[in-house]
Amino acid sequence: MLDFMENVQNAFYEASHWNLDNSYGALNATARALLDFQTPKGLRLQISSLAAPNFATSYTLGTVGVVDGSVSYLYSSLPLTRELRTSSLELHHVIKGYRHLQNLRKPDEDWWWEVWHAGQRIDRRDTLLYGRIFLPQSRLEALYLRRLSPTRQLRISAVSDSNLNNGGTILTLLQNDTGKYSTEYMYSTDSALMGVRGLYNFGADPKAAPMAPITAPQIAEPVHGRFSAGAELYYGLLNKSGGLSTGLRFTTLPNHTGFPYTMTLTMNPLMGNLSSTYAVKAGPNLALCSRFDFNFYSYESELQLGCELWRRRRNTEVDWAVKKLRPDWKRPTTAPDDDVSGILKARVDQDWRIGLSWEGRIKELLFTLGASLDLKKREQIFRVVGIELQYSS
Amino acid sequence: MAFNFNWSPLMADTSRARDMLTAALNKSPKPPIIVDDIIVTELNLGSTPPELEILEVGDLAEDRFRGIFKMSYTGDAFLTLKTKVQANPLNTYLSTKPDFASPQPLAAAASLTIPLQITLSDIRLSGFVILVFSKQKGLTLVFRNDPLESLKVSSTFDSIPFVRDYLQKEIEGQLRVLFMEDLPAIIHRLSLRLWSSEYEELETEQRLDNTKDTTVPIDPLSTPPQDAVDAFGNPLDPDQISALSLDDPNSEAHGSFSQKNINRLAALSESQHTLSLFTPEMREVVYRAWAGQSDRAESGANTPSLTRSSLSRIQSTFGTAKSAGSSVMSDSTGNETLNSRPSLTSNNSALAGLSLGAGRTRANQMRNRKKRVVDLRKGGDGAESSGISTGAANTPLTSANVSETASVIPEEREEELITPPRSPPRAGRKSEKTATTDGLLPAAPLLESPPKFSKSKQKTTKGVPSTPIREPDVNSASRPPLSSNRLRPARQTTSPLLRSLSFDKVTTLTSGAKKSPKSKEAAESSGGILEQAWMLKMAQEIAKKVQEHKEREAAEMDAPPAYVA
Repeated sequence: MLDFMENVQNAFYEASHWNLDNSYGALNATARALLDFQTPKGLRLQISSLAAPNFATSYTLGTVGVVDGSVSYLYSSLPLTRELRTSSLELHHVIKGYRHLQNLRKPDEDWWWEVWHAGQRIDRRDTLLYGRIFLPQSRLEALYLRRLSPTRQLRISAVSDSNLNNGGTILTLLQNDTGKYSTEYMYSTDSALMGVRGLYNFGADPKAAPMAPITAPQIAEPVHGRFSAGAELYYGLLNKSGGLSTGLRFTTLPNHTGFPYTMTLTMNPLMGNLSSTYAVKAGPNLALCSRFDFNFYSYESELQLGCELWRRRRNTEVDWAVKKLRPDWKRPTTAPDDDVSGILKARVDQDWRIGLSWEGRIKELLFTLGASLDLKKREQIFRVVGIELQYSS
Repeated sequence: MAFNFNWSPLMADTSRARDMLTAALNKSPKPPIIVDDIIVTELNLGSTPPELEILEVGDLAEDRFRGIFKMSYTGDAFLTLKTKVQANPLNTYLSTKPDFASPQPLAAAASLTIPLQITLSDIRLSGFVILVFSKQKGLTLVFRNDPLESLKVSSTFDSIPFVRDYLQKEIEGQLRVLFMEDLPAIIHRLSLRLWSSEYEELETEQRLDNTKDTTVPIDPLSTPPQDAVDAFGNPLDPDQISALSLDDPNSEAHGSFSQKNINRLAALSESQHTLSLFTPEMREVVYRAWAGQSDRAESGANTPSLTRSSLSRIQSTFGTAKSAGSSVMSDSTGNETLNSRPSLTSNNSALAGLSLGAGRTRANQMRNRKKRVVDLRKGGDGAESSGISTGAANTPLTSANVSETASVIPEEREEELITPPRSPPRAGRKSEKTATTDGLLPAAPLLESPPKFSKSKQKTTKGVPSTPIREPDVNSASRPPLSSNRLRPARQTTSPLLRSLSFDKVTTLTSGAKKSPKSKEAAESSGGILEQAWMLKMAQEIAKKVQEHKEREAAEMDAPPAYVA
C-alpha cells in the first residue's frame, strides 16, 4: 500500500499531466507490484492530512525494535484535487497492482501553460517540495520536483544521514517525456554516478495523431497493444564501474478485447542476467504474474509467482437486478471500491519463500496485514509479520 | 632467560583454529560485496616461527606469566578462504544506499554471485604483543599496535586490477580487525580448550593406570595419584580422583602445596630419616604415620586393621576439628595404609598420605557437592580376608567413625547369619575387620545403640558427604556413587533394598577379577578365585612391608599421638 505522501505525489503528477508509466524505470512496474510488494514489519501507524489543497502533513509511528517515527511535510504549488481522505479515496490509487496502461496522451503544448497578465507572463512552474525526518535516526529526506516544461521535469532527491558516506547523497534526475519516447538523465553525488535511460514506444506518435482528421482506417484498426523498448546505462566516475540493461515490453491497451496482459523481457548483458515476466489480468478482480530469471554466466535461475485478488462483497439482494442491467448502462455507484472487502496479494518463489499481504479498508482506516514466510526453515517459518494502519483526513 | 618455543605442534592440527576463524570471520557484519559465509578452507602456520623479543616480564610464576614481547613474523604461513561475492558493482553500491535517493535501475543492478577463493600469504607482522598466561584463565594475547605490515592477497580475480585492489584493501582492513579484536578471543578460547583437553588426557591416563598394579610409588605433589585406590585396594572413580587430586585446573588445590609447605614437608621427612626429634610445625595436618606406628606398637603385630583403627581415630579427631567429611579422611588415609604400596614403610609415604589428607580437606567441599559415598567397610573386609589381621584391633573408636559404621549396620546384620560377631558392638567398623584369610566372612558388629544410630542419621541429614555404605564386594571404579539422599530412606526402611542398591554398585574388580553381582553369597564370601588370589598377594605384600617397616622404625615406637595443629 502506498504511503500517503506517495499518493500525494502521484496526485501531483496527475494534476500536472505527467505520465509516470512512460519511463524505462517503470517498464516492469506491474511485475514489481505483484511480486516485490513490501510486507509491513511490526506495527506502523500513520496519521496524515491534506490540510489545504497545497499542503499535506503526515506523521508515522512504528515499532521496529524501539519506537521510531517520522514527520513529513509536503507543499505543492498546484492545488491537488484528488480525494485523499481514507474514507473516500480510491483503493486503486493506494494499492499498486496490475498497471493497465492507457493510450498515450499527447503532451501539452508549451503555450497552454502560458498565463499572461497585463502583457507579462505570470505563470509559474508547478513545484513540489517534500521533506521527511526520521526521528531517532535523525535522517532527513528531501525532494524537489519541478515541471520545467510540459515535456520535462526535474527531480532532485536528497538524503542526509550521518551514517552515510559524506553525510548524505543527492540524486538529480531530469526527465523528458514526449509520449513517443522518454529519456532520463541522472547524476548522483555518491561516487559520481551518471546514468541515462531511454524508452521508445513503437507505433503511432501521439503528438501527430490528434491533429490529423479522423479517417476510416484508423477507426477500423484501433491500437490493441503497445510495444516498447528501452535501455539504461550507468557509469560511476569514482569507482569506474558501470552497468547497463536493455528491456522490451509488450502490453495490451484498453482497446484490446481479450484479457489484458503484459510481457517484459529485460537483459543485462554485462552480468548475463535475463529476466522475463508475464502478467495477466484474468478478471476484474484477479491478476496473475510470473517471473523467470536466468543468469547465463552463473547458471542461476529463479522463478517467482504472484497473484492479486480483489475480494468484493456480494450484495445478494440486488444481485439479480444488477445482472439484468445492460452492460452499456451507467451504474450509479458512489465510490467504486465500496464493495471491496480486501485485496490479497501473494507471492511464492522456488525456495518456498512466501509473501502475503491483505490490504483493505475498515470504516475510515486503511490497513495492511503482511507476513513473509519461509517454509524451508521449519524452526522459524514466519520471518516477518506486520500490520500497518493509515488514517488521513 | 630463554623460552623454548615449540612451533611444530601448532602446525599439526589447525582444524579447530580453522573453525574458530570461520566463526570469527562471519561474526562481524560483512561488506555487501560478500554475499555468503566466509569459510576458511586451509590454514597453515608455516614452518617458520615468529621471532619474539622479550621486552618486559611483568609477572612470572609456575602457573602464570605476563610479559611484553616484540614480535616480528616473516614466515610462510598461508590462509585460504572461500566465499561468494557479488560481481555487479552497481548492486553492491546500491545495496548500501537509501532507496529514496537511489537511481533505482531496472535491471542494471541484477545480481551475479561468483564463488571466490582468496589466498593470503606472505604475511608480514611486526608489533608489540602483551601476553598474559594463567593456568586458570588461559592465555591472553593482545596486540598493542596494529601488527599487520603487509600481506599478499591472491584471488580468483587477480586479472582484474580493480577487483584485486578492492579485495586487497578490504581484506587488509578485515585482517586488522581480526588481529586487534578477534584473534585474542580465538587464542584465549583455544588455550582454554587445549588446557581442558590435556586435562582430559590426564584423566584417561589415570583410568588406564587404575587397571595396573597398585604398587606404584606416588608423588602426590606432582600428580594426582596415578593408581588411586580406596581403602581396600579398589580403584577410585576417575572423577573421584579428580576431586581428590591437586591438578584440577580451576581448584585452588594446587595452591596448598606452596613452596613453604613443601620445604616444611621436606624438613619433616629429613628429620625422620635422621632420627631427629625436630618436627616442623605444620598447620592443619594430620600425621598419619605416627598414628599408625602407635597402633603397631600396641598390637605388636603390625596389622593394617590396626592402622586403620588408629587412623580412624586420628581422622575422627580431625573430623571434630573440621566437621565435614571425616569419612573421606579415613578413607583416604586408610587408602594409604592398606594399599600396600612399597613406600608404605618410608616416611615419604606418610608424607604423601599427609599431604593427600591435607589436600583433601579442601576437596571435601567438592565432595559435599557431589554427595559422594565412599565405601569404608568393604575395604575392611578385603583387608581382613587378606589374612593379616590379628583380631586385636579393637581399639575404641571415637564417635565420628562409630556413627558412620552405625549407619551401615543394617546391611551388616545379614552377615551375622553367617559369622558370629567377634568384636564388641562399640567397635564399629573395626570390629568387622577381624575376619581372616581363610575365607571366613567378616564379622559383623551388633547393632549400635539407638542414640548413635540416630546420630548417624543426623549426620547424613546434615549432608556430611560420605556416609559410608557398605558394599558387599569390591568397589567398582566406574559406578557413579549413590547419593546419600537416595540412600537414607533405604537405610531407614529396608536393609534388603540397601543391599540391592549396594549390589548394584558391584561391577568389576579393576585388577581384572570380575565378580558377578547376582548372588549375594558370591559377593559376600569373597569367594572369587581371582579376588582371593589378589587378596593373598596383597596380604603377603602388606605383611612384608609391615615387617620391614617394623624393623626399620623400631626406634620410633613411641611416636607422638596424632594432632591437629
